[in-house]
Amino acid sequence: MNEVPDFVLFLGRFHPLVVHLPIGFLTFAFLLEIFSKWKNNKELRSAIPYALFFSFVTAAKACTLGYMLSLSGEYDGEMLDGHFWFGIATTVATLFAWLISIDKIKFIQLKSFKSNIASLTLLVALISITGHYGGNLTHGSDYLTKYAPFTDKPVKILPPKTMEEVAYFDHIVNPILQDKCASCHNASKKKGGLSFENQEMILKGGKKGLAVVAGDLSKSDLIHRVSLSDHDEDFMPPEGKTPLTEEEIKLISYWIESAKADFTTKLMAIENHSKILPIAASYLKLDGSAEAALPKVAAVDSLVIADLINAGFAIRELVFDAHIYDVVLPTQTASTNEEFTTLLKKLEKIKDHVFWLELEDNFVTDENLQTLTTFSNLTKLKLAKNPISDAGITSLEKMVKLESLNLYETKITASSLDSFLKFKKLKSVYLWKTSITKEELTNFETTNELPKLYLGMKK
Amino acid sequence: MCNNHEHKKLTSNNRDLQEIEKQLDRRHFLKKTSLGLGAIALGSLLGTEKLWAAGSQEQTTEKILAAYNKNRLGLPHHLPKAKRIIYLFQSGGPSQMDLFDYKPKLTDMFGKELPDSIIGGQRLTGMSGAQSTLPIAPSTFKFKQYGKSRAWVSEVMPHLSEVVDDLCFIKGMQTDQINHTPAITFMQTGHQLPGRPAIGSWLSYGLGSDNENLPTFITLVSKNGKGQPLKASLWGNGFLPTEHQGVQFRSGKDPVLYLTDPENYDGHDRRHMLDYLSHLNDLQTDTYGDPEIQARMAQYEMAFKMQTSVPEVTDIKDEPEHIFDMYGKDSRDPGTYAANCLMARKLLEKGVKFVQLYHQGWDQHNYCPGGVKSQSKKTDQATAALIKDLKQRGMLEDTLVVWGGEFGRTVYSQGQLTANNYGRDHHPKAFTMWMAGAGVKPGFSYGETDDFSYNVTKDPVHVHDFHATLMHLFGVDHEKLTFKHQGRRYRLTDVHGHVVKDLLT
Repeated sequence: MNEVPDFVLFLGRFHPLVVHLPIGFLTFAFLLEIFSKWKNNKELRSAIPYALFFSFVTAAKACTLGYMLSLSGEYDGEMLDGHFWFGIATTVATLFAWLISIDKIKFIQLKSFKSNIASLTLLVALISITGHYGGNLTHGSDYLTKYAPFTDKPVKILPPKTMEEVAYFDHIVNPILQDKCASCHNASKKKGGLSFENQEMILKGGKKGLAVVAGDLSKSDLIHRVSLSDHDEDFMPPEGKTPLTEEEIKLISYWIESAKADFTTKLMAIENHSKILPIAASYLKLDGSAEAALPKVAAVDSLVIADLINAGFAIRELVFDAHIYDVVLPTQTASTNEEFTTLLKKLEKIKDHVFWLELEDNFVTDENLQTLTTFSNLTKLKLAKNPISDAGITSLEKMVKLESLNLYETKITASSLDSFLKFKKLKSVYLWKTSITKEELTNFETTNELPKLYLGMKK
Repeated sequence: MCNNHEHKKLTSNNRDLQEIEKQLDRRHFLKKTSLGLGAIALGSLLGTEKLWAAGSQEQTTEKILAAYNKNRLGLPHHLPKAKRIIYLFQSGGPSQMDLFDYKPKLTDMFGKELPDSIIGGQRLTGMSGAQSTLPIAPSTFKFKQYGKSRAWVSEVMPHLSEVVDDLCFIKGMQTDQINHTPAITFMQTGHQLPGRPAIGSWLSYGLGSDNENLPTFITLVSKNGKGQPLKASLWGNGFLPTEHQGVQFRSGKDPVLYLTDPENYDGHDRRHMLDYLSHLNDLQTDTYGDPEIQARMAQYEMAFKMQTSVPEVTDIKDEPEHIFDMYGKDSRDPGTYAANCLMARKLLEKGVKFVQLYHQGWDQHNYCPGGVKSQSKKTDQATAALIKDLKQRGMLEDTLVVWGGEFGRTVYSQGQLTANNYGRDHHPKAFTMWMAGAGVKPGFSYGETDDFSYNVTKDPVHVHDFHATLMHLFGVDHEKLTFKHQGRRYRLTDVHGHVVKDLLT
């Protein structure tokens, strides 16, 4: 089929445009007939032959162009046949209807038979069927009924909840193909002869070769085409459609290469899955990514922010309009514990909004730490150079989201080491210039992986 | 403030200026009316009449909110890992195969011609391109593996080898430029021609300031730097508002020029003078609408604040002995690389977002072994000390440290190759940088070069990718932070750059 001249294909693409003309003319003729009967208006009837004549001419044109378009070979056979024959039938019937309307054909022997209205009704039926086939060809056979009430919806594949559940093809590869490729490569609209409808079709490939060759990326045209420069003529998807992201290409490449294009395998069952795990996790949004970990909190009145800034806090929103903040009280803003306590009271107004907090060198005491435990979303807390002791650390244990705790140059001792283990998410503790010794730290590290303790240089 | 004079709209005797004064073009009209309406709407949204009431308390609130909202440009786009950055720029192009990119196979190829297949038709510089021979020059330095990460480091960096488990090496760096000025400009601004904003200016513009008493973007240059000159466009704001330019701190008596009061003036009425000046400038803004007037006002205010904040922060007398010892004896000599590293740490502690440090002299066209050795001696200890110091203060987890030059150097000798001497020419196709701290994988090495450290064979990272990744660590989507200038929107990465996710924790 490759010898079809481009010009023919070019003309063929006018088919969808021209095809709507006979639809309009025919419907017009039909409505004129009904209307003239109803209003008993003879003059209206005189327009019917013209409408029919035009619809015949345009229908014939549409047939020719449609045939040209079909030569591209991008359309499914059975559906195309239906569209083809019904289209021709409609055109021929239109010709007869026109001849009847100008009295070239007369049904004398059937006096009561209303030939006009009968032929027109037939035509509307024919063109509806033809149109339906045509629509299915262009948009896919489930296009019309997909959102219709009372139809069976296709079985939905539930998104995986854990990485263990992930079926590599169903959860990763297929959604990408359906999202980015299937609008042109489906059961009825096989551009380049390629369809991603099901396993057989994917493996069958297209006219130019195999899309997927298990275990061999260099032979898999799918990967070749999507990885080209987007200026390349062969680049897929074509201009105007959303290209695949780098991650998506990596995910599909991995499926072809490492999973040997296995349609049923679970992600975890693939031998070297650790390589793809982070990308897959982030694609499926199962990586507990920072975004997912952001607490949902309501907006803060900007006057409260202004008041805090005025009191000496430096406040910065950590993600725009997420209402979570990085709050720093510059060192030595408070010169007594009373001053600090007053400041902390002000800060309490946004306690659920503070994500990172630095209170270095500001006369923070163990009592203040009690208040800090109510800061429910705090992940980083810097308390360096403050008069706090082991008792204060004990009270902080309740802070389930705390990941980093900075205690350098405070009065805490080795008895806090056990406390650190009780924090749920604590990862790093900074202990430089405390009484904790290198030996105590080493002992702790031999038995505990987390949290990591940092001591720093000796004086 | 003086209230005895009435201020009218400014008028000029100059014809051209009069024309401008009359002008109320469509853009100004829309801007003024829509902003005015917007302000009213905002006021009612905030649900407070207080903002409109007279009185100093409310005015302060209004001012604070204006300052707070000024830099809210829809950023950060996502949760940042880095709060601040120190970029240790090694100007000249450090030789990667004499420092980090260990190439043991070269030893047997001493003096052999570098194969054409490796050069791959690349156009060499005029400095070595005319050489009749391009002999392979293996590094004269011994390499060893260090730390849990088993990273290779040359013997010239004994201190840095102690902290390799905190470093994230990028061995496949690539740039487009082969000569210093365009390459440094490209590395610092994303474009080879001067005039684009520096990385620090973009971050200042996008994320604002964390300490209103100090500039957001500060530059420190090692004193007595030899080699290729550095120029202010490297830390320039380009087309961004002027207040986002890097402020250079110098060594010696005046870290920032023109901050000290002149002799016989005690500065008691400076505040008064500035208030009046800003009043005049406000009138000027109303008349001409030039945003640079506001930038200038912001700079006057900053200079005023720096009169007290700069002497405070640049005073390193309070640093204990053991800290000086850690950074090395140079650290007591203001203006040296070591002293600048120490100063940088102090600035970062005070909430400066971007400290850009420059150290010149890495341009070893000849006497490479000697040059690399002496450069390393000047920088190695302080660099390692900075990492350790940030770490023990708990700052490394949200401070990004970057080390690198503008390009790498060639494996072949420029000039004569002898048993213990060689020169190396510029090489843009492969070089090594490292990052440490906030959000990058510690004890990690990314990318590989061929046996000649000439071509990247695995995981190349282009300068644009590096920029994209750096911005990403600050919560900035490099494709979204743009500035419209001369009719088009610009960004640091132009139309390129991919975040290198493999480098991120």
